[in-house]
Parts: sequence; C-alpha cells; structure tokens
Amino acid sequence: MSSIDIQNLNFNYQPNSTTLSDVNVQFEIGQFYLLVGPSGSGKSTLLKILTGLLPEFGGEIANGTFSIPNQLKVGLVFQNPNHQFTLDTPRHELEFVLENLRVDPELMPAKINSALAFCEIESLIDRQLNTLSGGEKQKVALAIVIAMERDIILLDEPFASIDPQSRAELIAKLVTLRDQQQKTIIIADHDLLGYKQVVDHVYTIHNQTIQTLSREDGLQLLTDFEKQVPAITSTLPIANLEVAFNFDELQIQIQQHALLSQSSLQIPSGKVTLITGENGIGKSTLFLSMAKLMKFSGEIQMNQTNIQKIKAKKYAREVALIFQDSENQFLTVTMREEIELSKQHRKSDYFNDAMITSCLTQLNLNELLDQVVYTLSEGQKKKLQILLMLIVEPEVLLLDEPLKGLDIDSIHQIVTILNAYRAEHQQTIVMISHQFSGLNQFVDYHLNFANQKLTYVETVS
Amino acid sequence: MNPSFKLILIILISFEISFTRSLTANCVLIAVCLIYLMIHKIKLKTLGIVLLIPVIPAVALSITIAFFTPAQDYHFALVLFSRMFAYVLLGTSFTLINSPIELARSLEQNLHLPSKFAYGSLAAFGVLPKMKSTILTLQKAALMRGITLSYWSPKLYFKALLIAMNWSDELAQAMLSHGYVEDTTRTYAATIPIKSTDWAYMIVPILIIQPLLFLLP
Repeated sequence: MSSIDIQNLNFNYQPNSTTLSDVNVQFEIGQFYLLVGPSGSGKSTLLKILTGLLPEFGGEIANGTFSIPNQLKVGLVFQNPNHQFTLDTPRHELEFVLENLRVDPELMPAKINSALAFCEIESLIDRQLNTLSGGEKQKVALAIVIAMERDIILLDEPFASIDPQSRAELIAKLVTLRDQQQKTIIIADHDLLGYKQVVDHVYTIHNQTIQTLSREDGLQLLTDFEKQVPAITSTLPIANLEVAFNFDELQIQIQQHALLSQSSLQIPSGKVTLITGENGIGKSTLFLSMAKLMKFSGEIQMNQTNIQKIKAKKYAREVALIFQDSENQFLTVTMREEIELSKQHRKSDYFNDAMITSCLTQLNLNELLDQVVYTLSEGQKKKLQILLMLIVEPEVLLLDEPLKGLDIDSIHQIVTILNAYRAEHQQTIVMISHQFSGLNQFVDYHLNFANQKLTYVETVS
Repeated sequence: MNPSFKLILIILISFEISFTRSLTANCVLIAVCLIYLMIHKIKLKTLGIVLLIPVIPAVALSITIAFFTPAQDYHFALVLFSRMFAYVLLGTSFTLINSPIELARSLEQNLHLPSKFAYGSLAAFGVLPKMKSTILTLQKAALMRGITLSYWSPKLYFKALLIAMNWSDELAQAMLSHGYVEDTTRTYAATIPIKSTDWAYMIVPILIIQPLLFLLP
C-alpha cells in the first residue's frame, strides 16, 4: 500500500449534524496535495482525523475507514499558532518533542539546530513563545514537524500569518522535502498563490465531501485564482487630508528590543490604510499601542488629542481592535449571546435586526447561532468577530490580519459589508495583512513597516 | 542544588514550623532565606513585593491572638507573625531561583513521578502569566463593546474559567500531536543529577533546624 486511503468516511461533531459525509479519496505517498474549500467546510476536521486528534478530542466517525501505510508517521501544523505548544521556548518544546520520540540526547542539539535552520529561525531558539508573532510561531511549529521527521506532513493554513517572501521560501522547502525525502505534503489553504508550479494534485472540499480535480482542472483553478488577484493600487496620501492618527516621536519596544522609532506619521481619516511587513517586525505590537493596550514613549494623537488623555472607556468605544486571535474578542458562550451583547451598545440603528440577519446570511453564519463560539472553525470565528465589532460602530477599526482563515468568497462578503457601512459612516480602517486577495478597490493607502519605520508606498504587488 | 531535594527540604521545614512554636527558629529561617535570596541577586523591588504580601494577614492574625483571645499570648502572636514571613520567603527562595522546567525534569527523573504530572505542573506554571494577560485583554475587549468588567466582576472570571477549560483541551491536543504518549519511556534532553552534595544540602539544614525548633523559645 502506498497511499493514504479514505473510504466512505462520515464524521460528525454532534449526532445530528454531519461535517464530512461519504469521503472517498486517496493521497499517494510522496506527493504534494492542496486542499481547497470554503471556511467551515471541514478541512481542519479532515486533517485532524488523519492525525488521530479526532475523534479522540470530540465527534465521532459515524461510518467508513481510513488507513495510513505501515510505519508512516503523520505530523500536523495547526491552524491556530497559539494552540500547539506545551513549553515556554522553541528549544524546550523541541527537546520535549525529541524526548517523546526517544531520540538519543546526544543527537538532539544537531537535530534541533538543523530543524530551526531549515525554517531559518535559529535566532528564535531561546525566545519566549508567547512573545513571538503569529507568523514566527507558525515557523516554529513547522520546525517541530521537521525535527519529528514525519513522513506525512499536514499543514492547516500554515501561511495565513506569514509574509509573502517567507511563504514562498517555505513552500519551496516543502517541495524539497517531497523531492529529496519522499515526504507527503497536504496543505489546506485559501490563498492559492504560489502553488501552481509545485503541487501534484488539487482536491476541493465542498458540501461535506471531497472532490479530486484532474491535473488540468487543478491547474485551471490555480490560474483562475491568480488572475483574480490583481496588484493592489494605492497612492501616496495627499497633503491636507483629514488626519485620524498622528504619531509624534513614537517609540515602541518589547523587552528592550526596539520595534518602531517614528518621528512623525499621519494616518488619514475615513480611509483604509494597509500595513505590511515581515513577520515579527512589530505590526501587532503597533496596534496594541494604538489601542492603548501597551506602553510606548512619544505621543499618539487621535483627532488632534493625545490618546493618553482620553479616558479608557471613551477611547475603547472609538477605537476597536480586531485581535489576530479571534477568541480574544469573545465574551460569552454562544454566537447568539455574542450578537445580543454587541447589540446592547449600538450607536445608531444602522445595524438593526434585519441588517444583522442579512449580514449573518451573507457570511453563512445564520444557521450556527446556537453554536458555542469556540467550536466554530477559525474562518467562522473571524467572520463573527469582525461583525461583532462592526455592530458597536467604532470610529476607527484596527484590523489585525482580518483575512486569516477566510476563503475568497468570505473576503468579498466582509469587504462588501464594510464598504456598505463606510458609505454611510466615515469610518477609518487600519489593517494588517499578508494576503491581498479580494482587497483591490478596498485599500486606499499602503504603509510598509521595515527597519523600525513606517513608510507610505505607492503600490503593493 | 537538585530541585526535587530543594522542594522536599522546603516542604519539610514549612511543615515543621507549622507545628512548633519557636520564634528564634522562624527568625533564623527568615534571615537565612534573605541572605540566600541576596546571594542570588534578587531584585530589591521583587523582594519588597514579596515581603508586602504577608503583612496584612500576619498583622491581623497576631493582633487577634495577642488581644482578642482569652490567653492573650504575645509570644504565640509573634510566632504566627514571623511564621507567615518564613513561609513566603521559603517559597520565594524556591520559585525565584529554580526554573520550572528544571523542576519538572527533576520530578520526572529523580522522583520518578509520572511525566504527565511533571508536564502538567509545568503547564500550570506557564498558564499563570498567560492568565494575567488574558484577563487584561478580556477587560479591554469588553470595554470596546461598551461593557466595563471590573476586577470583581463574576462575568470576568466565568469567561476566564471558560478559556482555561478550553486551554486544557488544546494543551492535551498539542502534547499528543508532539508525540507525547502517557506511560511510555522517554529520553531526557538534560539529565538532572543527584550529587552527594545534594544529600548534604538537604540533610544538614534539617539537622540544624531541629534543635532550634525544639530547644529554643
């Protein structure tokens, strides 16, 4: 047997709701697979079943079987980078992993170094994992699977928080693993850029089941996607624009490590400004500072007022941060309760019940109202999170990687909802993203974050 | 010193001072701990905070014993007062100087506790700072939706509890996917040795403290 063989597989989390039904599919050993499908379609579920985490941690296989060739081991890079570490630093986590696999302690340092070198993150070895950026954590997670020498490597949207250059490099490295070590690679992803030259097969997951595309159809899908992603055009902000934020001698650092040193910068009001930059450069930390969740030196002014002088309660109603990790935003248990909570503090009647229902339908969330928010898929959490914060109508939205885990249709729906609201209310949006699919005609200005400086640039490729 | 031995030493001494009434022994312990912490270059600010923690309960307890009990035992009041500080300093001498991972490894290798227990306690250590930042984030997230969650709000802790439960599940998944299997043999990245000096460091203080505890007032 030289393939992972799934036959008539049916999986459900609750007895009366099916997540995967009648899945019949094979993954041949030594090949590179791309798994594509809308948010919440069951991609993560399938990968977790293959890893053995499901049904061990919930749900049941109602019917069918799957088999993995003898002796072959499966490793998984989780979708949420915050969910996959036991210990405090990459070194300790890697040692823990190698101890579990009963590796000879003398061989450990070499294995650890080569896995970190593979992902080019040697410098992170003794950093505290909870101070790493989302993208850096994903690279550590990948290094762990490399160190484990798994034959079958499953990656659940591993690149969602990774900058485009690192992403291209990591895809190339996965290809090397396939070509030189005959590893099987299965990646679930929404962003289909950069796969055309490398994947062997594209499988789509839709209506609870998986379809295998022929080689031509797969290539066609990837080509179509690339065409859909035109370069985003942005201009430099002109003088005399109304200013939402003004940075004055702003210095941000994390544990003596300087991230930003900006003598002056203006962010225009009522516009969408995109911030890009490498992993770990300090983008999320900048947002935490702008939301007054983190100390900084110098001054940030909002509408000409020093934000330190605005009362926390008032400021929080004006500037809302959409956290990178959706779970940070939730305060209750079910989706319905979350929406009710946001409704209590609406500022206008724009988001009346009819509007909310229509948004929920647009986002494909309308049938999940009674579901516990933690059990939603990452993409569903993200959509709900953005809607919840839009309902409270802040003057400024700081969106930290809002497209993570979202398929292209969901991105279009989110952009439509945001644009409709912005047409009536002058909302300022500042957003961090590594993905640009679906963002053309949404972004007005583009700031690049590099060398501890933010600089406006004219176009994003 | 071997972390497990140190833990045993501290638990034994704490246990003994709970059942004896020697003011001198308590004072000696406090002095020794302070010197030990100074040698290990504890920050004065941290030491200050640590010493503030027991002030209120220690004062309250000794005032009660000294003035509001029939016996009005001033000596016992002082014993209780000093005991509080001895507990806190003993604990600090342990936690500030040993890294949690060393302790977990030592519990697993030297005391042969199940690895699940060792790594479980390690995860618990890790959760504390995470919990603190989560509570701050929760408060801010609530504020952004117009809700003020004060430090005494039950809603805040209900949510924190929910997150903690979710974490435990995620942690189990993370361990499993990183090759951890309960009750199987593992290798050790770092061997935590038991040296003869470790025995000496444990036994000698215990021997010294006995006459102090039982002979001195």
